[in-house]
Amino acid sequence: MQALWIITSVAFLIVLIMLINRRLLREQYSMLWLLFGVVMLILSVRPQIIDSLADSIGIDYAPALLFLVGILFCVALILHLTVIVSKLSEKVIRLTQELGILHHELHERKRSES
Amino acid sequence: MNAVISEKDGAVTGESLRSGNTSSKILIIIPAYNEEHSISRVIDDVKTHCPSAHILVINDGSKDRTKEVAEANGAYVITLPTNLGIGGAMQTGYRYAYRYGYDVAVQVDGDGQHKAEQLHLILSPVLSGKADLAIGSRFIEQTGFQSSATRRIGIKILSTIVSAMTRKKVLDVTSGFRAANKRAISVFQSDYATDYPEVDSIVLVNRSGLRTSEVAVTMEARTGGTSSINAMRSVYYMIKVTLALFIRSLKQTKPVEVQS
Repeated sequence: MQALWIITSVAFLIVLIMLINRRLLREQYSMLWLLFGVVMLILSVRPQIIDSLADSIGIDYAPALLFLVGILFCVALILHLTVIVSKLSEKVIRLTQELGILHHELHERKRSES
Repeated sequence: MNAVISEKDGAVTGESLRSGNTSSKILIIIPAYNEEHSISRVIDDVKTHCPSAHILVINDGSKDRTKEVAEANGAYVITLPTNLGIGGAMQTGYRYAYRYGYDVAVQVDGDGQHKAEQLHLILSPVLSGKADLAIGSRFIEQTGFQSSATRRIGIKILSTIVSAMTRKKVLDVTSGFRAANKRAISVFQSDYATDYPEVDSIVLVNRSGLRTSEVAVTMEARTGGTSSINAMRSVYYMIKVTLALFIRSLKQTKPVEVQS
């Protein structure tokens, strides 16, 4: 069973590196995912870490800790993405406005030349 | 331009505007989305009542012939490649005004509800230096088109919130008939809500340390197109604008930089 988790983690890391290589994932956004993949690999090699961590913070059912961390990670990631989307739409608005103004200036210049 | 009238006294009359006797560079911004039926009358009216002003139509990704009709009527037209919404369109106009150093930027809606013959009313407080943003208000003298009863209630609620936030009474907070001087243009070109900007921008102007002034005007029911706010969206509008106001009070406001 443990071998399956290790294979999954390694496969995940390989897919990540391929995506970065093909520039489908920008480096600045890949950090979080690389970190996630490495943590996944460490935990699959040494699953006892989960047990001892859960024990030390008083969680009886160790997998619950895994779920908790997983959900928190997802929420953090979604927040991060929303920030990126907000920045992007701000940029798109600016670009659209600039494009409209420049197009108008070009049109006026052409008209005054002819 | 000859025979420049004294604008310091605020004596801008409809007559002086019509004869072109203003020393200020005025830009009339007409945001338009699918307004091919009403835009030519709006442009003509502005030309008649304020011939010295430059007219800039912001064609917000219209699917009809708004661009062609506006150009045929002799207006400058900026066509946005995608529909940004009224706020994004108006900000394009403010950015244009900022870049080319206009003294005043006036918003006149492309649907014909604002009357060009009353341009001098909203220009007066701005040209005389009494206000940085003048807002044409339907509710001071309560004449002309008054909007539906439910809408008036909505506007009343927003007006109460805005008045409390700015500690200054503003009645027609959703009015799009307004004139902005250089300082207000400078604020708007960098910060303007993309959709439903009218209410929010009053608070923004106030927080930037600028003065608003509300003047009585009459408006007409729109002559063409459909309002960007239909009955179904009214509730959404109220929630969104109210939220925007509270977010505005959390946002940092940059000090005004006036271009020389």
